[in-house]
Amino acid sequence: MKAFYIILILFIAGCKKSPIVSQTSDEVTIIGYLENYPDQFSEFRKILNITGDDGFLGVYGTYTVFVPNNNAVASFLKSTGHSTLESMDVQKLKDIVKFCIIQDTINTTTFSDGKLSKLTMFGQYLITGAANVSGETRITVNRQANILKANIRVSNGIVHVVDNVLTPATETLAGMLANNPKYSIFTQALRETGLYDTLNVPAGSNTDSSRRWLTVLAESDSAINAAGFGTYAALKARYSHTGDPTQLEDSLHLYVDYHILYGVKYLADIVTSSSHTTLAPLEVVTAKLSGQHVLINDDDFNGVHETGVELERSTSDNSATNGVLHNSLGHFAVKIRNPVPVYWDVADFPEIRNLPAYFRKQAYAYSLTNMPADFVVPGPSTMTYSVGSTYVNGDFLMIPLGGPGRSTYIDMKTPLLVKGKYKVWICYRVQKQSNSSNNLNQISIDGEVMQRTMNFTTAMPASTAGEMEAQGWKWYTDPTSNNWGARLVGTIEIKTTERHTLRFTTLQGTQNNNNLDMIHFIPQDMDQLYPRFKADGTQVPRP
Amino acid sequence: MKKYILIVALLLTSSCGKWLDVKPQDGIIRDNYWQNKEQLKAAVIGCYSSLLNNGLVSELFVWGELRADMVSSTLNTAVDEVNIMQANILATNSYTSWSYVYSTINYCNTVIDYAAKVMETDKTLTQAALDGYLAEAHGLRALMYFYLLRTFGEVPLQLKATDSDNSLDQLEKSTQDQVYAQIVADLTFAETHALETYGSTAQDKGRLTKYGIYALEADVYLWNEKYDDCIAVCDKVINSGRYGLMDGSVQSQWFNNVFYIGNSAESIFEFQFDQQQLNPFYSMFIVATNRFIGSSRVMDEVYGIDLTDATKKDIRGDGGSIRATDQMIWKFAGATGGTTSVARTAADSWAHWFVYRYSDILLLKAEALAWVERGQEALDLVTTIRTRAGAIDGTSESPDPGSAIDVSNYILNERTREFAFEGKRWYDILRHAKRNNYAHLEIMLDMVAMTAPGSMQQSIINKYKDVRSHYLPINQYELQADKKLVQNPYYQ
Repeated sequence: MKAFYIILILFIAGCKKSPIVSQTSDEVTIIGYLENYPDQFSEFRKILNITGDDGFLGVYGTYTVFVPNNNAVASFLKSTGHSTLESMDVQKLKDIVKFCIIQDTINTTTFSDGKLSKLTMFGQYLITGAANVSGETRITVNRQANILKANIRVSNGIVHVVDNVLTPATETLAGMLANNPKYSIFTQALRETGLYDTLNVPAGSNTDSSRRWLTVLAESDSAINAAGFGTYAALKARYSHTGDPTQLEDSLHLYVDYHILYGVKYLADIVTSSSHTTLAPLEVVTAKLSGQHVLINDDDFNGVHETGVELERSTSDNSATNGVLHNSLGHFAVKIRNPVPVYWDVADFPEIRNLPAYFRKQAYAYSLTNMPADFVVPGPSTMTYSVGSTYVNGDFLMIPLGGPGRSTYIDMKTPLLVKGKYKVWICYRVQKQSNSSNNLNQISIDGEVMQRTMNFTTAMPASTAGEMEAQGWKWYTDPTSNNWGARLVGTIEIKTTERHTLRFTTLQGTQNNNNLDMIHFIPQDMDQLYPRFKADGTQVPRP
Repeated sequence: MKKYILIVALLLTSSCGKWLDVKPQDGIIRDNYWQNKEQLKAAVIGCYSSLLNNGLVSELFVWGELRADMVSSTLNTAVDEVNIMQANILATNSYTSWSYVYSTINYCNTVIDYAAKVMETDKTLTQAALDGYLAEAHGLRALMYFYLLRTFGEVPLQLKATDSDNSLDQLEKSTQDQVYAQIVADLTFAETHALETYGSTAQDKGRLTKYGIYALEADVYLWNEKYDDCIAVCDKVINSGRYGLMDGSVQSQWFNNVFYIGNSAESIFEFQFDQQQLNPFYSMFIVATNRFIGSSRVMDEVYGIDLTDATKKDIRGDGGSIRATDQMIWKFAGATGGTTSVARTAADSWAHWFVYRYSDILLLKAEALAWVERGQEALDLVTTIRTRAGAIDGTSESPDPGSAIDVSNYILNERTREFAFEGKRWYDILRHAKRNNYAHLEIMLDMVAMTAPGSMQQSIINKYKDVRSHYLPINQYELQADKKLVQNPYYQ
């Protein structure tokens, strides 16, 4: 009996509930993180309390916050002359808080030399970079602070600790230029053309969305002086041909327009694109990174190198409330270019030149994975670089076209075309693979369809040069051959001076042997029939 | 009742003795191992087997090439890899893990700790043979620590085998000098006792012979600017007469012997991948979704193109290290070299990982000669290499033999051509840049200015100006596992 009771007691004592460990995350929110380290972040926590922003930072969300530590807040207070946080203007504190919060999670691995991908809650961009001071490199934010600890993941975002309070820009582009005496001539030009007001509207209050954010490539007085204009009057005399700079067609107005780019573009953004539109209608500036120098309008045109101007890194990337201000070390203006004829040998491109065993010696078939950069086909067919006599420079492209077994189109990037009106001639060798072969193509340039079609299987109706030109044909080789003909597909108005995309779209038929030799862009008022081209490439002018 | 209890107790304790003694039934425990010299040899070969690990070799490639200028990313490159190429290395990056290297070090430590036991039980093991095996273990350990030194800078020195759950040490990092001293100590032991040959070509190239040790010593001495030691050790290899440059007059034959099959007369030490143990390079270089290709400057600037005479070409360029048409890294991807280009298939991807070749000895010696004012001899060695390779005139330079830096830069460029994609380019750049207390940091910064993406160029240049960024951070898991490790202060 006793044993029974002992066993019973043992059972009851042993029947414990096994504890279920419920797992929740013990990651803190941003507020929690700040409260975990009061010796570093008590001041910023106080600021959040004053502005009332600790509500949304303590709950679920995705934020990136650049948190200044206590030393940073102390030196900030000192610089503004206040002794306590409570004595500061609450609105100003709210602006500062909004300026260091971004509504996205941004890691330092996505930092570039320029701006972060999203606006801060204040409505201005933060820029990042890295600076090396006496052998130590730190990531910098807005050129105002260094990051002390990066990528601290908390449950509602990412915290980066910085050593200075980040303060937003207060001036507009116009204000910045006016307050800097080294831009006096440029500022006067802005005022007289009326563009000063365009640059003086903060982004938040601008109703014109296309001009909310602008980038100015300003020329300092020394740059303008170095170009030969001692005073503003000299500049105005040279450029303002109507005498009234407020007119949109006045050259001085265009000169200033040409220095203002749409959008907010820091130097890192400028070098990522090769051309940028300006306020001047249809005028672009070209940009390139040469070594470590940012160059504007440094181009090779028609075989001639045109030296550009450099944007000085140390005095550029100045954030304003409505954009960025850069300093150009030289003087530049809209280039007046007259249209020049471009006789484009399509079989001459850098990738084939890099294969000297093939270039002008033997055929090379491209595959879909290694097409040259300037040619795009959707597949399944590609193109073959081929050689043959009578073709100009002895080479041509053999492009299979026509669905469904072959690519339905091919895109090619033209050389630099100056804006103007051109007649476009497609120069090819006619070939009909079989009796029923057909290959009717529509040509479009930048999406604009040309007036006539061309067909690789159609031969020229050979008669006299004049009659042929009237029907839209010409010989282009020397000596002439009726199998090598050029078809006029129409007139195109090229609107901007840059490289454009030309597309062959096959409307009917399909064949492999479409032999394309050249494409001519000849300004419409120039001689269309000459020069002709020998097989070695020499041009033969009109006799 | 008592009787029954007694009988049961007797039975339990006698027959079920095995019950309480927990030995693994399908493995050998240490008490039963280290009994004879065959087991010792198996353990040593096991150290070499641990090198044939895809994770380890991928890491060696990434560490040695990604931060330099020979490799480009593709659309399929992983985020961690892109971050390394853009100097955005965080402690969470998977390539900061050193576990594969320490695995091999542990195998070597195990051999070093327990090999001597064999002599007690196996009397046929001679002291010379035992020392030979120990030399291999020391040498391989030194090689692993040399990789760690060049990649991480300061690493913990684990010199004891981790052989039970109780022996998990919390080690601190050792300084670079301490790690270097340990490497030299291991190599000094190894060079005295290593064997000159193991009897077959595959073993001589796959295991560390005395000459493999010399080659590693040359690299190690040159790393810390001990030029005379480096020259002495290189001469020992050169004068042995066992190695030579393979003839390069027919590119396809040269490629086949040196890179496709491997273990040529030129090779000193290679990781011996084969059909049973494939390398990781098929998915990295060969498939359509490959992660790395050669950069465009490889054909344009490194090897050059002779525009006047198409028959003249550098055999190490198109059809050698790289395929010019699509920039595939041909050294590991190619089944044939020369003009007909056939890539390896997945089952065929067993290219060796080339650690030291004879041309490396010549160029290491040349670099040391340049800095002890024997510049003309250095240039002669470079000419030997170039003549074998058919290097074109466009890439030849004529530096003043009296100017050490000019000769040294020429040698650096020639090393780029000779050892393209072999995991040496970043280490070469770092060695040249840090010479004389970073007197020539611009060598690295100029390279970075060219390869960095335009929108990040200035940040990346400034990052490399901080010399602590030249080394990788310690992986966050390592920091959590070993509380005594302190992260590289650049990566705070």
